[in-house]
Amino acid sequence: MTQISSDVIRGYNDTMILYLLLDEPSYGYEISKQIKALSDEKYCIKETTLYSAFTRMEKNGYITSFDGSNPDTGKRRTYYRITDAGRQYYQQKCLEWQVTKEVVEQFIKKEGEL
Amino acid sequence: MEAIRNYLETMFVNLPNTPEVQRAKYELGQMMEDKYNELIAKGKTENEAIGTVIAEFGNLDELAESLGIDSYLRKDTYQTGRMITMEETRDYLRDNSKNAFLTALGVLLCITSPVGTIIMGAVGEQFLGQSAIFNALGVMCLFAFIAIAVAIFIFSGVMMSKWKYLETQHCCLDFATTEYVHDQRNLYKTVHALLLSIGIMLCIFCATPAIIADALHVSGYFEDMMGAGVLLIVAVGVFMIVMTSIRMGGYTKLLRVNNQDSMGGQYVDSQKNEHYDNKTVAVIMSVFWPTVSCIYLVWSFLTFDWYITWIIWPIASVIHKLIKNIWSN
Repeated sequence: MTQISSDVIRGYNDTMILYLLLDEPSYGYEISKQIKALSDEKYCIKETTLYSAFTRMEKNGYITSFDGSNPDTGKRRTYYRITDAGRQYYQQKCLEWQVTKEVVEQFIKKEGEL
Repeated sequence: MEAIRNYLETMFVNLPNTPEVQRAKYELGQMMEDKYNELIAKGKTENEAIGTVIAEFGNLDELAESLGIDSYLRKDTYQTGRMITMEETRDYLRDNSKNAFLTALGVLLCITSPVGTIIMGAVGEQFLGQSAIFNALGVMCLFAFIAIAVAIFIFSGVMMSKWKYLETQHCCLDFATTEYVHDQRNLYKTVHALLLSIGIMLCIFCATPAIIADALHVSGYFEDMMGAGVLLIVAVGVFMIVMTSIRMGGYTKLLRVNNQDSMGGQYVDSQKNEHYDNKTVAVIMSVFWPTVSCIYLVWSFLTFDWYITWIIWPIASVIHKLIKNIWSN
C-alpha cells in the first residue's frame, strides 16, 4: 500500500475538506482524522496544509469559522461551516475532477499491458 | 505534550507577533493536541505519539502566503539569529552571578578603602601618641584596597567579555530555555527584593553609629571608629544592591534577547517599552527623565532649597504616567 504524496493531491485538498463539511460543520483534527479514515490511511493531511487550506478558503468565502465545543469531549474548537459559495465551488471541483480523471486516464496503461 | 508545545513554540519563535500568526499557532496547537491525545488513548507510548505528531505537522512554508509571513520565512532571520542553547544559558547565568559578586566586592573595597587610614590613624594616635608610621600604613592600606578592587574589575570584565555577543549579535532563545530563565528569575525575585531593601535600609541608616557617637559625646579614638563604621555600613548596603541588581539584570537581559515583535518576544512581560504613536510625543518622552534630572539639579543648586526640590520627582512621575496613558499604545 503506497502513501499518496502531498504534491500530487495538492489541488484536491479543498475538495476533500468541503466534502466533509457538506453535511455538518467540523473542526481541524476531526477533518484530518476523517480524511485519513476515508482514504484508507493512504493519505494523511499535514496540519499546516490543513490550516492553510482553511485560511485560504475562508478568505475566498467558501467556509466560515465559529467557536464551538465538541459534544463528546466538551473542548472548545474552531469549527468550520461551508457557505453557498463553497458548495458551488465544490461542484465545480467535482466537475473538474471528472475531466482531469478522463484526461489523465488516457495516458495510463493498465498493469499487464506494459 | 510538553515536547510538542516546545516544538511549536520553537517553530514560531521568529515569526512576527500578529493576530494571524497567533491564531495559526493556536489552531495548529489544538490540532496537534487532539492528535496526540487520540494517539495516547489508542495506547501509543508518549514518544511514539510525539514522533507521529511532529512528523505529520508539515512545513511552515505552506502558511507563508496566508499569513503574510513570506518575507520572514525567506529572510535569514528565520534561521539565523544565533540560537542560544540551554547549556550556554546556564553558563551565562553562572558567570553573571560570579560577576555580580565580584563587581559588588570591588565596589565594597573601593568604599571601604579609607577605613584602613582612619583606623590606623586613630590607633596610632590613641596608643602610641605618634601616628606618622601608622598613617603611612593606613595610606598603603588604602592603595592596596583600590588595587585589589581594580584587579577584580578587570578580571570580571574579561570573564564577561565572552558574552558580549548577547548584545552585539542577533540572538534568540527557544521556548524551553526562555521558560527556564523565566522560572529562575521568578525564584530569585524574593531574594532580590530582600537584598535590595536591606541594602537601601543600610544606606539610609548608615549614619546611626555617628549619631550614637555624637549622642554619647565620645571623641577622639571612638569617634574615628564610628566614622569608619559609617563607611562599612554603606559598603555592605551598596554591596547588596550592586550584587543583586547585576544578577537580576542577567535574567532580564536573556529574556530580552528575543525580538519583541516576534512570537518569541511575547514570553517576557518585563520588556514593555513605551511606544508612542505621536512622533512629537515620542521625541519629547525620550528625553523626559534626563530633562527632569536637569531641572532638579539646576533648581537645587541655584537655590539650595534641597528640602523642597525633591517635589519635582513625584510631580514628574505623575506627569509621566499621564502622558503614557494618553499617548502610549
